[in-house]
Amino acid sequence: MIYLDNSATTYPKPVGVREAMLRSFRELGANPGRSGYEMSMRTTRAIYECRQCAAQLFGAAGPECVVFQPSCTQALNQVLKGFLKSGDHVVVSDLEHNAVMRPLSELTKRGVTYTVAKVTPADSDATMEAFRQAMGPNTKLVVCTQASNVFGIRVPVERIAALCHQYGAKICVDCAQSAGLVPINLTDSGIDYLCCAGHKGLYGPMGTGMLIFRDPQDQLATLIEGGTGTQSRSMLQPDDPPERYESGTLNVPGILGLRAGMEFVKKKGPKRIWQEEMQKIRLLYGRLSRISRVKLYTEAPSLPWYLPVLSFTVEGMPSEAVGEALAGAGIAVRCGLHCAPLAHDKMGTETGTVRVSPSIFTRREEMEMLASRVRQICQK
Amino acid sequence: MGKPLIMVSSVTYAMKARELLTRHGIRGYVERIPRTAETGCGYGVYVPQGADAAERILRENNIRILGRLEQDDAE
Repeated sequence: MIYLDNSATTYPKPVGVREAMLRSFRELGANPGRSGYEMSMRTTRAIYECRQCAAQLFGAAGPECVVFQPSCTQALNQVLKGFLKSGDHVVVSDLEHNAVMRPLSELTKRGVTYTVAKVTPADSDATMEAFRQAMGPNTKLVVCTQASNVFGIRVPVERIAALCHQYGAKICVDCAQSAGLVPINLTDSGIDYLCCAGHKGLYGPMGTGMLIFRDPQDQLATLIEGGTGTQSRSMLQPDDPPERYESGTLNVPGILGLRAGMEFVKKKGPKRIWQEEMQKIRLLYGRLSRISRVKLYTEAPSLPWYLPVLSFTVEGMPSEAVGEALAGAGIAVRCGLHCAPLAHDKMGTETGTVRVSPSIFTRREEMEMLASRVRQICQK
Repeated sequence: MGKPLIMVSSVTYAMKARELLTRHGIRGYVERIPRTAETGCGYGVYVPQGADAAERILRENNIRILGRLEQDDAE
């Protein structure tokens, strides 16, 4: 199989990830943060080291800023529902995933309003102007993807963060697609809440995600309450992160796998991974642009404006039919709306696209084979 | 002689506290709070020597201290 659905989840995972998860079953099988015996403390230490690793990778102030979540979606829900109150106004980009739009839509029932700001690809000034226009006196939060999960279009989140702070608002960035590719420094960038998946560009296992705070004293209301292993006499949820947001037993195998994934990314270097994957996407873009029935929706993607995610359609064929034909040839891509109808509305692809997303393990020949297969499909 | 345990709000802060103290040349050990009937479950840092200085360093570095237990060695 040629696997080109890495924006959904990266596959394969590095060997170190699999080994770390196996080690957790073999050696670190006790509940972390609940007991003082040796295996529990070793497991607790391993979890702490994963927090340190994430804090270092994302330039957070310390390990206490790193909250483990089961997914990026859960992390985004935690911020949106833990932060917003009736009367608050939110600004989002027109590239947002349903992980943002659905909780936000739910919050409108509780008196939250929002405005969608237009992102202009490869033009940060125009994008900034759109966000500036969308801000209002009640704007409390901007929620914004760092890059589209459909078209790879990057959003200038650092500049938007500066704008937010001018307005006294906070910014939550959805780094589902960008974590592990775009170097991010939470402290320098001014991003207040960073949400990311563990199983995409960080090469961890599914069922892992993180919410990383710029300021650990910045307290959100909790979505769930329960046991944290501390201050158990009190019926009140503890105030301090990360445990405040982590009631219940942690996904130890997943978190240890995530740590190994992050170490893999750190060793390679996020920017290098980004550059290598962009070369593959540009190769594919060049090949597909020569096929008359193929329609591409962005300019030729380049650094720093795009991430290695490319969408296309074939004239006269639904995207799902193209995907099925590719699957028949052993090529895995993602078709349809990619849980991001807003982005498809923006680009005029309401019936869906075929999305291609490589990983560090994708070979150039695999991109050539995909292009060749698409050409054959178009000739039928 | 008592065994001074500085109680903090979570095991993450206990581990952070231990590292901070090590950087300041003070030995510390992350341990479970022994008398949970009074305080509930939790963690602290056992500091064999220099507990007062350790407590000051932790406060200066924004680590919330819930209290201190002076436990007998015999316990």
